[in-house]
Amino acid sequence: MSYKVTEEGGISIVHLDGEIDMDVTEKAKEIIMPLIEAKKEVHLNLKEVQYMDSSGISVLIESHQKATELGTKVILKDISKSVLKVIMMAKLEQILNLG
Amino acid sequence: MNNLAHISEQRDFVVSSSSLKDVRSFSREVFEKVNIEQDLKDELVLAIAEAAQNIVKHAYQGEDTEDKMEIKISLANGNLEIGFFDKGRPVEKDKIRHRKIDDIKPGGLGTFFIQQIMDAVVFKEGEKPWINHLILSKKIDY
Repeated sequence: MSYKVTEEGGISIVHLDGEIDMDVTEKAKEIIMPLIEAKKEVHLNLKEVQYMDSSGISVLIESHQKATELGTKVILKDISKSVLKVIMMAKLEQILNLG
Repeated sequence: MNNLAHISEQRDFVVSSSSLKDVRSFSREVFEKVNIEQDLKDELVLAIAEAAQNIVKHAYQGEDTEDKMEIKISLANGNLEIGFFDKGRPVEKDKIRHRKIDDIKPGGLGTFFIQQIMDAVVFKEGEKPWINHLILSKKIDY
């Protein structure tokens, strides 16, 4: 997994790339959580994520819950077909913010 | 792409989260030989990777080990069977529960995915030297 973080109008945009599994979830959290804790709105661009398993989905849930707790939000953008399928399999399409 | 009636392939992997990428590669290689929809292949790869992840996470509780797990994928007459063998802690079948659909929290999703994708999930006591033997099966039209 590789990533790039950009800022646009006070919004942090995290572009994730590659496969997100148990082996990289800690790294993903290290990137995303400090932005949420800084109470920034975070957009996760998932266009280049070709594979995500339950560990990756757990990161999305934790991020969403942390953001809600801190009064901000995480929005999932440009979700790849394969990631959207896993989100729907987890029945989270009504829970997570899909932008 | 071939449409083989019989497939039986197995490979060993070190029990580690860093092996999960190799588990997926192996699974993809095997399913490339089968004439089924790409969506189904992706689902099967996910189920296999989730089961392997459960071995790392639960049977070994994330501990560093040099132990290996074995994954065997067999397809005969439309019956797909995937066997997982490991030497970790014995699985306590009664404690295995997937997440409830309306319980939104991290964790428990892997087993939920496996059960959604596969027709049957069976835990057996492994024959020596194995401790656990998990069998995932699914009827496949190809």
